[in-house]
Amino acid sequence: MLAPEDIVEGEWADWYRLTPQERWRESERLWLVYLSLGGTLDPEPDTQSPFFDPSAPSAVAADGRTGVRVLRRGGV
Amino acid sequence: MGGQACVFYGAAEFSRDTDFAIVANPSNLDRLQSALSELQAEVIAVPPFSIDFLNRGHAIHFRCNSPDALGMRIDVMAKMRGVDDFSLLWERRTEIELAEHGQIALLVAVMGIEDLVRAKKTQRDKDWPMVRRLVEAHYFGHRHEASAARIDFWLQELRTTEILIEIVRRYEAAIPHALAKRSLLQHAIEGNQDALTAALREEEDIERAADRAYWTPLRAELERLRHAR
Repeated sequence: MLAPEDIVEGEWADWYRLTPQERWRESERLWLVYLSLGGTLDPEPDTQSPFFDPSAPSAVAADGRTGVRVLRRGGV
Repeated sequence: MGGQACVFYGAAEFSRDTDFAIVANPSNLDRLQSALSELQAEVIAVPPFSIDFLNRGHAIHFRCNSPDALGMRIDVMAKMRGVDDFSLLWERRTEIELAEHGQIALLVAVMGIEDLVRAKKTQRDKDWPMVRRLVEAHYFGHRHEASAARIDFWLQELRTTEILIEIVRRYEAAIPHALAKRSLLQHAIEGNQDALTAALREEEDIERAADRAYWTPLRAELERLRHAR
């Protein structure tokens, strides 16, 4: 009988083994981390989406400011 | 019915909004409007919030402005391509309790996985890995409690060649019925992984094309509405 590891990488196999309730809680935790890092709630630009509007304003952080300042950037 | 439902069923998606499938009738829209008012939600894109647009298959997009939900986005739909009417969706829903500090805080209805999988068969690249993961996770989570309905669901919706080849051998009695609805299972029966992969890709292409065709007039209508603003 196939095991999840036969099909997907370990990280996904671990995720599959969680109960739905555990996945929900883990997702809530990730949301908090994402928002604390200044993550935006605006949609990702997705040109394949029927709802994509190229004229829509670009994404901003949820509260209008990010929780993280970029101190250094790479060359790209 | 969107990203949170995918998380619940095992296909992680970092969702930035909350999607609701609703029944679009005047009394229900009144109730929805009350809830949206509490959240100080405003429509942020075309089309406007109306029963006509919902019944034609459009989504209405909101952003919340209340302090406890600041910036949260809500999408509302009443019709989706390839998905049954709301009454059947409601019958097949999963209900979960969201507990807070050990107390039952909220009862949430999540779209049933078979309907979520159908709703995710869109023209977008990002939805197809999600479909595969949703059904994989369901299979690994329930294969030791395989009912006839679950076996049929797996045979109709799995997109993982290795598992399809495994289950056609295990559930031989279900194959004639399933094969009549999904001919690519013949490749799984023959153990022909290459042919099965190609047939799955073809199946996906057909769904994507159907979704593009479904959305063509709706996209044109959205475009007209944007220009009219």
